[in-house]
Amino acid sequence: MGLEEDNKKIEESMRETARKLLEDKEVDAVIGYTEGTLPMSSMAMVITRAEDVDKLIWNNYCYINLATYLVPRIAQLVDPEKGDLKVGVISKGCVGRAIIHLKVEGQLNLDNVKIIGIPCNGIIDRKRIEKEIGQKEILEVSTSGNEIIVKGRDFEEKFAFDEYILNVCKQCKVKSPPNVDDACVGECQEIESVSDDYSDLAEFEALSAEEKWNHITELLEQCTKCHACREACPMCYCNLCFVDQNKPIWFGKTTDLSDIIVFHLIRSIHLVGRCVACGACTSVCPMGIDLNLLIRKVERIAKDRFDFTSGLSSKVMPPMMDFSMNDSQEFMLEED
Amino acid sequence: MTQTETKTESEEWTPKIIAFLCNWCSYAGADLAGVSRIQYPPNIRIVRVPCSGRVSPFFIIKSLMDGWDGVVISGCHPGDCHYISGNLVARRRFGIIRDVLEFFGIEPGRVNFMWASAAEGERFAVLIRKATKIIKELGPIKKF
Amino acid sequence: MEKIGAVMVVGAGIGGSQASLDLGDAGFKIYLIESSTSIGGVMAQLDKTFPTNDCAMCIVSPKLVETGRHQNIDLSINCEILDVSGEAGNFTVKVKKKSLYIDPDVCTGCGVCGQNCPVEAIDLFNEGLAKYKATSVKYPQAVPLVYAINKDYCIGCGICLGVCKAKAVQYDREDEIVDINVGAVILAPGFDEYVPPEGNLYGYGKYKNVVTSIEFERILSASGPYAGKVLRPSDGDIPIDVAFIQCVGSRDYSGVGKPYCSSVCCMYTAKEAVIAHEHMHQIEPTIFSMDIRAYGKDFDKYIIRAQEEYHVKYIRSRISSVTEIPETKDLRIRYETEDGKILEKDFQMVVLSVGLNPPDDAKYLADKFGIDLNEYDFAKTDIWNPVQTSKPGIYACGAFSQPKDIPETVTQASAAAGCVNQLLYDKRGTLITEKSLPPEIFVAGQPPRIGVFICHCGINIGGFVDVPEVTRYAGTLPNVVMSDRNLYTCSADTQTIIKEKIKEYNLNRVIVASCTPRTHEPLFQETIREAGLNRYLFQMANIRDQCSWVHMNEPEAATQKAKDLVRMAVNKARNIEPLNRIKLSITPKALVIGGGITGMTAALNFASQDFETYLVEKEAQLGGFARHIYHTLEGGDVQEFLKDLINKVKSNKNIHVYTEAEIEDVAGYLGNFKTTLVHGKNKEKAEFDHGVVVVATGAQEYKPKEYLYGQNDKVILQSELEKMINTSDDIKNKKSIVMIQCVGSRNEEHPYCSKMCCAEAIKNALRIKEKYPSCEITILFRDIRTYGFKEKFYREARKKGVLFLRYDEDNLPEVSQEDSQLKVKVTTARKDTIYVNADLLALSAGIISDREENEELAMMLKVPLNDDNFYLEAHVKLRPVDFATEGVFVAGLAHCPKTIEDCISQANAAVSRACTILSKDEVEAEGKVAMINVARCIGCGMCVENCAYSAIEIVEDRRFGRVASINQALCKGCGACSGNCRCSAIDILGFTSEQIYAMITGRL
Repeated sequence: MGLEEDNKKIEESMRETARKLLEDKEVDAVIGYTEGTLPMSSMAMVITRAEDVDKLIWNNYCYINLATYLVPRIAQLVDPEKGDLKVGVISKGCVGRAIIHLKVEGQLNLDNVKIIGIPCNGIIDRKRIEKEIGQKEILEVSTSGNEIIVKGRDFEEKFAFDEYILNVCKQCKVKSPPNVDDACVGECQEIESVSDDYSDLAEFEALSAEEKWNHITELLEQCTKCHACREACPMCYCNLCFVDQNKPIWFGKTTDLSDIIVFHLIRSIHLVGRCVACGACTSVCPMGIDLNLLIRKVERIAKDRFDFTSGLSSKVMPPMMDFSMNDSQEFMLEED
Repeated sequence: MTQTETKTESEEWTPKIIAFLCNWCSYAGADLAGVSRIQYPPNIRIVRVPCSGRVSPFFIIKSLMDGWDGVVISGCHPGDCHYISGNLVARRRFGIIRDVLEFFGIEPGRVNFMWASAAEGERFAVLIRKATKIIKELGPIKKF
Repeated sequence: MEKIGAVMVVGAGIGGSQASLDLGDAGFKIYLIESSTSIGGVMAQLDKTFPTNDCAMCIVSPKLVETGRHQNIDLSINCEILDVSGEAGNFTVKVKKKSLYIDPDVCTGCGVCGQNCPVEAIDLFNEGLAKYKATSVKYPQAVPLVYAINKDYCIGCGICLGVCKAKAVQYDREDEIVDINVGAVILAPGFDEYVPPEGNLYGYGKYKNVVTSIEFERILSASGPYAGKVLRPSDGDIPIDVAFIQCVGSRDYSGVGKPYCSSVCCMYTAKEAVIAHEHMHQIEPTIFSMDIRAYGKDFDKYIIRAQEEYHVKYIRSRISSVTEIPETKDLRIRYETEDGKILEKDFQMVVLSVGLNPPDDAKYLADKFGIDLNEYDFAKTDIWNPVQTSKPGIYACGAFSQPKDIPETVTQASAAAGCVNQLLYDKRGTLITEKSLPPEIFVAGQPPRIGVFICHCGINIGGFVDVPEVTRYAGTLPNVVMSDRNLYTCSADTQTIIKEKIKEYNLNRVIVASCTPRTHEPLFQETIREAGLNRYLFQMANIRDQCSWVHMNEPEAATQKAKDLVRMAVNKARNIEPLNRIKLSITPKALVIGGGITGMTAALNFASQDFETYLVEKEAQLGGFARHIYHTLEGGDVQEFLKDLINKVKSNKNIHVYTEAEIEDVAGYLGNFKTTLVHGKNKEKAEFDHGVVVVATGAQEYKPKEYLYGQNDKVILQSELEKMINTSDDIKNKKSIVMIQCVGSRNEEHPYCSKMCCAEAIKNALRIKEKYPSCEITILFRDIRTYGFKEKFYREARKKGVLFLRYDEDNLPEVSQEDSQLKVKVTTARKDTIYVNADLLALSAGIISDREENEELAMMLKVPLNDDNFYLEAHVKLRPVDFATEGVFVAGLAHCPKTIEDCISQANAAVSRACTILSKDEVEAEGKVAMINVARCIGCGMCVENCAYSAIEIVEDRRFGRVASINQALCKGCGACSGNCRCSAIDILGFTSEQIYAMITGRL
């Protein structure tokens, strides 16, 4: 079976689950995806009536991490009469993980959230395809078998799906949401830990400090500090991001390279043990910067140092909330 | 803003190092090195903090951005913390900071984490000598 | 006679210091009298402490600094007690303050005299292993930091007189004799270590590489003679094989040493072996021991770790001889193993684990204070109150009454203070004077006007740093309106100058660039406060300890560094603000949870001080664990004592007893708790306010699953045997009684020693032997842990023919039933298999703690449990009855298994600690605390998890939703929360981000 059929099946069962939840009044609203205005795009959508479920879609362009719509509790989701609404969220693996992690950080109550689990086989890297196509206008995109077919006025090109999904999706080990505290309906999995291999990082990690620095600056040079990555990130929910703070102004707000680097550097520190590797940051970047390298490293630090993977359990404390006498300290300076 | 450079008589380049020391163990250890007249290079400038747990990544990264060639953070040995577990909270944070900095191409030797107790004047001096040597070998911090 | 609101504490080791601090904080005037020239006692000599391997200096020095500076503590060093008169409530003590030949009020402790002293003399503190001068302080971190001239070595050359710029040296300074009037006395003179006499078996004194454990402790110490390297004295080589010989001078019936067990040697030996291996990995320690007495909290785990992780080898043996091999100076130890073999092994170094003797002046002190000593010349104390001497109003704590370790000493110090509180409670606050201070000048919003005072410290700074240049430079910095330099900024006359300058220049920030804030900040803060400035408008630049002294050969670089440090201090000072210590009102009532001996003792102590007390017991009757105990090993009648205690509790009008009670909620915090509970058969509800909580919930006896218990009625518990002995004749016909020790203790499920079972077994054995001498008693044991003076009873039991057989952990006894005969099979350590017929088998079941029950209460009180389900105190060594959560205390079996006497001590100790709070109308919190910016906070809860003091909780804010809220009364200002906060929503007053930012940046 090809991608098209797979997605159709997922979409059908997802709609069925959503319909049932709404009809049974188990949820007041469902957050999901709907068609975007351009080819290869999608948008978030909130429905409150069972008859609207057919507006929900699922395909490989559904890049948004819908957990961001749960935190902070936006006004639309809170009915002043009823208090918190119960919400169902269409959740691919990383959305489910984000919801679970946000629960650990006290940002939502799993009693009020239904994770409508769906299996995801990767989000198509729209930026890369556009880049390959060049200046030509894309009018229609479809998937067939294992291929992405891109059509324009006078061209048609095919791309291998496995090759043209986000780099971060290629490493994904949690395709459908973990079932935690019975918050998941639909497709989900019992998963306590993932064994990950970080050989994809090996090449970068082997570089010298100088080379790493050059590579990172080259990667981030394009950044305009538009903060789209931050806005798309389910974990960047601070009221006032550190780059926007004053008293003191720790770091500059300009697009000087040093301010850019330090933004990504500190954001990476803040994401250790929290990032759910959804790749939304990369998908939304208007400059086409692929943050996969940082995402992978951030995951690796949490795994290597603390044997922790975010969003798999509502009980295990994430690294920065916890500590132990036996934590690794091989980096401490010691006498010779 | 310019930096007042520490120059020895031979005008050889020497690094500027900022050190965040916890009040109860390491700061006391640094005092003991003094009382015992144990000599170490004059490159460090000590900032007293209540606990190594107080040291936020901002302190470290801002120091490097501001032209300090290296940073030292020292706390009580695990188990000795005056605040019970402040240094254990800090240790996790330091591991993360270290790894991320290294990934960004900032040499791990720029930021040195250590434990020194109130009785370890000698150890304090030895480690400061070592950190100074490491940072000196790395040369001036790149501007970022 | 009129009672006096003052207390004398004799001996300023850790015990004396703790007692002084407790009572000083509770509003008594304290006269702390020390015979040597600095405080801290033996603990200040130690490198690390067991079982946590805490650095002794790190944990003790803040306490000593506090003792030295406490407003209510009058500390006198180099003193001698001349005469005592009076009675409980009103004593007069004549004290001779011997001259130091240096005026302690003028001496700044700069140490120039010591450096210039030409006479090399022995330093007592480093145990004779390092050289020191005739003018000396005992050790670098000494409190009080004043020098003393040792007249035995002084040659009167006059050099120190010449170099002392503070003019403190007075060769003709005379002794001073004073009469001190106090209401009570606490004796805490500590102990003296056993010194092996000439011609001893171990060659101590003859062979250089045989050292005592306390000498070895100094060798291990980073501030010791070899700077923490383990080297042997003969040639400075690293020893590979190091032997530790235990029980040197203890458990010795030969008349050379002492017959009692010194209680602490097993553990300190293990610790020294571990630390030696940790310092130098090549060291292979071997410990020659009899029993391993690891009876305290988490001690057994430490012994196991020593063996498994640090390669410490134990050999159960007796030493026959130690001889030196002349060529190598190695030592050959000849020893007899448990199975009777004579073996020999060579070691590069031998450490003798010497025992604890009563202090050399024990008899003198006893005579002066009119108290009795016991058969071993330790202070004799009451069987039900181990801190009460034979004379009312005079208490003893620490090793003076029996050898003991640091936590037990600290517990007893607080317990003695608890008894003093009981005796003198109505005289609190009568002899202390509150300093009258001018109102604080309002400086908020004003531009900073900074004054900088730079210290020459004689030549300590001035000799290496160009002080005039630094002063000039300071004057050029923004907002600095004056800079000046002084010979000694800490001297009394400079304090006057600082106050004048504050007025003259209208200063609103003051900086002193001199030595370390750790010792001198409070002094200068006091000065500026006296001049009307908030005490937090002060900064120090450490240009001596961290500059001039460590860069003595690089004056230029040192001067540059001093300038940088001053600039950084100015940068910070520009950003400092006045801080207020918030005040909390206190409800002067106590809640005691648990109605056993511990809880009742605590409740009675509180009540007798007129504090209303709520005593909560889950059972229908009071008494707890002690209801099943008839006697103590020492002969005390427990049932009689218990009956009396219950009557006193029931008839006390200040105690409200709730039985069959279940606590539903404990809300609030230090000084302001509110508890709701249901009690009685009808589940009546009760609710009350209180200021403190004492957790005395006790523990249970283990119900064995092993050894046919519950299947054969000849198999009973030790407690059931005790009941049988005391209430029936059932023992009469028993020919053979077998006891098995460590049932449910020291195994995988309960990896700790229950401490009382050895005493319990020996007690029952002795009782049976007394009544029915022909009854054969066999005790199967792993180690006999009759520590301290209990050793006597072990010896007596052996003498009376009780048979002791040791078995190994991996070779447990087996019990079988053949017809009606109970048979016990044991493989002894000699590898013999022995069958014993038992008419009765008594199992010494351990003490266990129930997780579920404790967890619920622990959650309510926000206090932790350890792995074995006992409550975990704030600090294993120095805060044994406190929790990190303020206002909550722990005592008795809830803390860990212990004897009745220890439970009583802990109960009184908890009361004393609580009195430091209850005695006040309000408590002041620390000024440098965490502060939350709710607009930034996202309520992720990370800070809640990171706070060791349970000072943070998540609350629902009307405007900002879920946010963290800090209880500043509980906050200690460590900043663990702030350092992790992604939103920078938490700042630490006194160390704010803006202040640190200004220090990092802002270079000119």
